[in-house]
Amino acid sequence: MTTDAVSMPTLETSESSLSPEAGLLPDFSSAAYKDAYSRINAIVIEGEQEAHDNYISLGSLIPEQAEELSRLARMELKHKKGFTACAANLGVEADMPFAQEFFAPLRNNFQKALAEGNVVTCLLIQAILIEAFAIAAYHIYIPVADPFARKITEGVVKDEYTHLNYGQEWLKANLETSRAELEQANRENLPHVRRMLESVAGDAKVLMMEKEDLIEDFLIAYQDALTEIGFAPREIARLAAAALVG
Amino acid sequence: MFGLIGHSTSFEDARQLARRLGYDEYAEGDLDMWCSAPPQLLERVQVTSPTGKVIEGAYIDSVFVPEMLSRFKTARRKVLNAMELAQKNGIDITALGGFTSIIFENFNLLKEQHIRNTTLEWERFTTGNTHTAWVICRQVETNAPLLGIDLHKASVAVVGATGDIGSAVCRWLSQRTGVAELLLVARQQQPLLDLQSELGGGRILPLEEALPQADVVVWVASLPQTLTIDVANLRKPCLMIDGGYPKNLDSKAAAEGVHVLKGGIVEFGSDIGWQMMEVADMARPQRQMFACFAEAMLLDFEGIHTNFSWGRNNIDLEKMELIGAASLRHGFQALGLEAAPAPSLATA
Repeated sequence: MTTDAVSMPTLETSESSLSPEAGLLPDFSSAAYKDAYSRINAIVIEGEQEAHDNYISLGSLIPEQAEELSRLARMELKHKKGFTACAANLGVEADMPFAQEFFAPLRNNFQKALAEGNVVTCLLIQAILIEAFAIAAYHIYIPVADPFARKITEGVVKDEYTHLNYGQEWLKANLETSRAELEQANRENLPHVRRMLESVAGDAKVLMMEKEDLIEDFLIAYQDALTEIGFAPREIARLAAAALVG
Repeated sequence: MFGLIGHSTSFEDARQLARRLGYDEYAEGDLDMWCSAPPQLLERVQVTSPTGKVIEGAYIDSVFVPEMLSRFKTARRKVLNAMELAQKNGIDITALGGFTSIIFENFNLLKEQHIRNTTLEWERFTTGNTHTAWVICRQVETNAPLLGIDLHKASVAVVGATGDIGSAVCRWLSQRTGVAELLLVARQQQPLLDLQSELGGGRILPLEEALPQADVVVWVASLPQTLTIDVANLRKPCLMIDGGYPKNLDSKAAAEGVHVLKGGIVEFGSDIGWQMMEVADMARPQRQMFACFAEAMLLDFEGIHTNFSWGRNNIDLEKMELIGAASLRHGFQALGLEAAPAPSLATA
């Protein structure tokens, strides 16, 4: 006989709370929405600009792939233009100082790794963490975006997979020599990603994007990337947990 | 390749499992952290049928725990993300275990076919309900006679009669087993009337009136925690098949002459070499599992890669016969009453 099963909730106990909400959209013209959007949109614009700069910088560390990296960088600038148009469409001015501050920890770590020639760390930060973060955020945003932004974001998210894939392939090919640096870079940078998500949770909620969804989607994209790179399931869970605790 | 999507029976059990498997960060995490955690492919196994056929499978923990049932969006996300993980791993047929299929059905997740950049292919999934229904019927047919209950003269109450499993059990028991009388119990009247007319018989009764008249009670509804059973008024002997989820009947109906059997559980003929059924509270976790999980294995053994059990009230007798024959062929046995049913041993 089990005692714990007795105290286990049943569907019966929670049935009253099971009414799924309809496909509600936020009021895109409200002051509260525009205020939150000015920061979220700025993060996206800044993120695309920094991604551009980072891929160009990576070209100096991997000169034989500089051309491919420059192609990826150009895509990011195109995304930036698209998201700038999204703000204009809603009559919102992006809060760029906020976004620059938002990215500072990851930007500083990227610049430090770049100066030291640590290509593995640079790739993890830009091509894996930031891309996985972007993919998660765009996926969660698309169903609650205004029609104009929705179309643009749908196009962008496809490109971001290309970028994530670039990082994956490079790290996969160099896993054995990269492992120790990857684990260290993971430890140092993943907590920043969590703090970044937490710092925008309030604004994201106004846009009807839930923090819980954002974190889980980010971790799914990140775990997928680590799987592709060649880590075993248990190692991956341990690596990814740095975004959940600590 | 077959897949099983499961979850722990409580948050505390889930943390203990995480600790045992070396997922220390999860073991330390609180419920909010678990709500944000992605599904995990925990184990890969190989299973060999007595026919010699070998199949490979994977166990995916959705990282759902029943404490999340009150959070609709979290529960929905856990189920869909686990299904996506199964599909991304190329698993041909995956069973939705425990609350997974209940959430899928009750939250109408058929509308949610697009997850990020994945379109879920429903034909890769099965609720496993056809095999569960067949196993429950088999448990009735095999164990009632052991207690001296002649099914041709017996009244069998089905609690949750209008559900997917319940209606299939009613069909089988009336048309194949030939029980003397079916007592139909469910909350909503109209589906009961529809079922009664489909069966061409059966008496519709409220639970408290059905129980004292039943020689066999098949439970395929989730039991409210507040439900109490007046065991003094039950027939003796009475066979109770606990086919609901979670299985919590043994504590509610403990009495001399009342024999509670965990319903919808099967035992494989040899050890499987997995860790996961320990979390499901099986008496012999190396061999026992939910019949719905076994359905994914059976479909893989038989090369039937399709959503065999899907939607509500689609289980017909031919499908039950097909899966039942496969179950026997590949070495599964429905869980039975443990010892010779001497009444003195039956007290809890």
